[in-house]
Amino acid sequence: MKKFLTAAALASLATSAQAEDVTLQLKWVTQAQFAGYYVAKDKGFYEEEGLTVTIKPGGPDIAPEQVIAGGGADIITTWMPAALAARERGLPLVNIAQPFKEGGLKFTCLKDSGVETTADFPGRTLGVWFFGNEYPFYAWMAKLGLNTDGAEGGVTVLKQAFNVDALLQKQADCISVMSYNEYGQVIDAGISEDQLVTFTYKDEGVGVLEDGLYVLEDRLADPAFVETMAKFVRASMKGWKYAEANPDEAAEIIVENDESGAQRLEHQQYMMSEVAKLTAGSDGKLDPADFDQTVATLLAAVSPDNPAITKAPEGMAWTHAVTDIALK
Amino acid sequence: MIWLVGAVLVWLGAWALNVRLAASAFGRTRAGRLAVATLFGITLLVLWEGLVRGLAVSPIILPGPSVIGPKIAASLPTLWADFVQTVVKGALSGFAIGTAAAFVAAIAIDRSPFLQKGLLPIGNFVSALPIVGLAPVLVMWFGFDWHSKAAVVVVMVFFPLLVNMVAGLQATDPLHRDLMATYSASYPQRLMKLRLPAAMPFFFNGLKIAATLALIGAIVAEFFGSPIVGMGFRISTEVGRLGLDMVWATIAVAALSGSALYGLIALIESRVTFWHPSQRK
Amino acid sequence: MMTDRALPVLTVLLAIFALWYAAAVWMNAKWVYDQASRAGTTVTLAEVIPQTMAQPRPLLPPPHQVATELWKGVAAQAVTSKRSLVYHGYVTFRGTMMGFALGIALGVGLAMAIVRFRVMELSVMPWAIISQTIPIVALAPMILTVSNQMGIDNREVPKAIISAYLSFFPVLVSMVKGLRSPDQMQLDLLSTYGASQGQTFWKLRLPASMPYFFASLKVAIAAALVGTIIGELPTGAIEGLGARMLIGSQFGEPLIMWAALFAAAILAGGLIVIVGLIERMARARMGAPA
Repeated sequence: MKKFLTAAALASLATSAQAEDVTLQLKWVTQAQFAGYYVAKDKGFYEEEGLTVTIKPGGPDIAPEQVIAGGGADIITTWMPAALAARERGLPLVNIAQPFKEGGLKFTCLKDSGVETTADFPGRTLGVWFFGNEYPFYAWMAKLGLNTDGAEGGVTVLKQAFNVDALLQKQADCISVMSYNEYGQVIDAGISEDQLVTFTYKDEGVGVLEDGLYVLEDRLADPAFVETMAKFVRASMKGWKYAEANPDEAAEIIVENDESGAQRLEHQQYMMSEVAKLTAGSDGKLDPADFDQTVATLLAAVSPDNPAITKAPEGMAWTHAVTDIALK
Repeated sequence: MIWLVGAVLVWLGAWALNVRLAASAFGRTRAGRLAVATLFGITLLVLWEGLVRGLAVSPIILPGPSVIGPKIAASLPTLWADFVQTVVKGALSGFAIGTAAAFVAAIAIDRSPFLQKGLLPIGNFVSALPIVGLAPVLVMWFGFDWHSKAAVVVVMVFFPLLVNMVAGLQATDPLHRDLMATYSASYPQRLMKLRLPAAMPFFFNGLKIAATLALIGAIVAEFFGSPIVGMGFRISTEVGRLGLDMVWATIAVAALSGSALYGLIALIESRVTFWHPSQRK
Repeated sequence: MMTDRALPVLTVLLAIFALWYAAAVWMNAKWVYDQASRAGTTVTLAEVIPQTMAQPRPLLPPPHQVATELWKGVAAQAVTSKRSLVYHGYVTFRGTMMGFALGIALGVGLAMAIVRFRVMELSVMPWAIISQTIPIVALAPMILTVSNQMGIDNREVPKAIISAYLSFFPVLVSMVKGLRSPDQMQLDLLSTYGASQGQTFWKLRLPASMPYFFASLKVAIAAALVGTIIGELPTGAIEGLGARMLIGSQFGEPLIMWAALFAAAILAGGLIVIVGLIERMARARMGAPA
């Protein structure tokens, strides 16, 4: 009710410089992975564009795709495989910008477990994240010709928790890590880099696009919405570039915005410096070649256990309409 | 709109029917009781379907029963594997261990006033703790397979049962105790003939609460790491894939197995504590 | 009374601490040995023990490590700071109270209806039981999305719903049992007095149910707390003790997690004590022997 009244009051006072409300749903908790948005908000970049932006942190049970379908957000960050999967299930998400040029998903093994190359995988226990992040892993296993049902000659898959305990406690031979987060946790725990064997998904030919910005397709028919999104993307990319140039300040902004108060500044600084490597190559515009590679990776491993997508995405899975205006 | 109105009408009609059924002689029979409960359940499903269709709710937010039903039928092998992993291996084994341990511990404590005074306040305290928070820790300790889930369940059910059981063992009437004393009954005799039977209503009360806790515990623990089978795994993974029909199919199986377990306990309770006023028909 | 209990409780507590330290050494030692073998050195037992006491990421932190972290969170911060466990404890407390109140209202209301109307018992009771077998964690994100869609932006509401969902059930079960606890003789007596349904309820059933009601409150408050903490995990892990646990677990900071766990335990203990006091006061007023 209160909100309604405020909206009504605003509408009656509407001037030419009317503030536009945008709600962004993040894929995960407040951390430097989303530095660009928090920097843009804190530094007033959104305000300069006339936007009032609300950032909603995610969590282990929050599927941003579900939130946007329920009208809880105007725009979400998610990985492309999850967005394409949602698209195939009838939720027409469209990529309007791709701040992450590179992916940070890696796969790391303890050297003393005896894994040195992918040829050592058969018979091993491998930790994987699910919740939409498992698609590239299954594509990789399909590429290697390894079955994942625990049968002879294949690999045993574990759903690992959100941390690296599975590796440290030796419950898995290898686990999934993000270059900017869990990899740092392994190192932090006292294991040096030369005690690890690390695989990068992109080098294995199964890279996918990670954090991108997605909106619902039907809303893009409204030119005013496209205009708002262009402002949002422009300010966000300004935030990203600022964060890349000032990683320590960005990390401080993150810690400042983390309402749980449990984040450590040093870890966020590490994360920011690693995330900056992934976003550096992007001006926000999606490279269609990257999109094609993601689709090819996903289509390489279609199976009942791994139904990311079963056919090439139909219709407008991405658009440059927003970035074209934003980058003008 | 027609769906909404229709669903509400069906619901009202069924409720009226239920009122009559409950008042009738048929409502006193076992079949009658079942019929009323089933009818109520069905009307809930109709209402759900009507709401989903009437308000055009997206299937990736809330699918209707007409979508979930066929999904259950189509995924029986998966659901069965999940059931075995979570309910049989995780929840039931943990439930059995926790119950047995609480039962034995309660009797052991009962003999020693010192332990009783020392352990009871602590037991009371621990049974009030949010044990769920221990789930990630226990998964770290006992590995990713069902053992850690069983461990979570053991910890979750042990203390509520212990507290209930100890309270029950003390719930005897002084009159009855005096009677046993005049019979010069030995400790085992007093235990078997008076105090254990007297403790049973408390014990079963604890068991019923523990039964639902067991299932929740096993499922929650799977959220913190698991093999790629199990109800908790299925739910969290399918939410991520927007396969809400599968999520609800799993929820249905969980509800079904939990109810079966609860029903079984209630059945045993009515046999064991037939004398308690609450069992009066 | 107090001194009578103090010695046994202290003995048991001491035993727990001893076991805890022993377990901490035993569980954390593996990591020390692993590290040594990776570094190509060996360590003696005398070197291992001190190292198990101060790991930054222990498998089981020894009590003093948890206590230090807890102290840091409680005393070393302003209570309004988001780094303060007092602040997060208050957030969780608020959610618990809302859910608890909602749960009691729902539980008592349903129990009264069930005892009064046979049709309610036959149709609602089985489904109330079934509702508890539904893993609430699975529903949590949906409750969040649906409240979002209904325009409820308040983060407290979904949390309170989850909390009430778990806490109404023990109240319901106990109240049904309690309202039915008067035995036939007493009911017959009232009917010979020509008491109406309402009078029987107010004069006999309700007073008779009070011990059951208060016994269930202790379970319900604990359930409400669990519900709030579960609700704090998926609602964006924003604030509250549940969020601290999650962040601690996700960022490999077990100490933060353990401190939040113990803060939750202290909160639970405080709530139980308060409920116990209320129970004693109520029973004293109703003339029950203390």
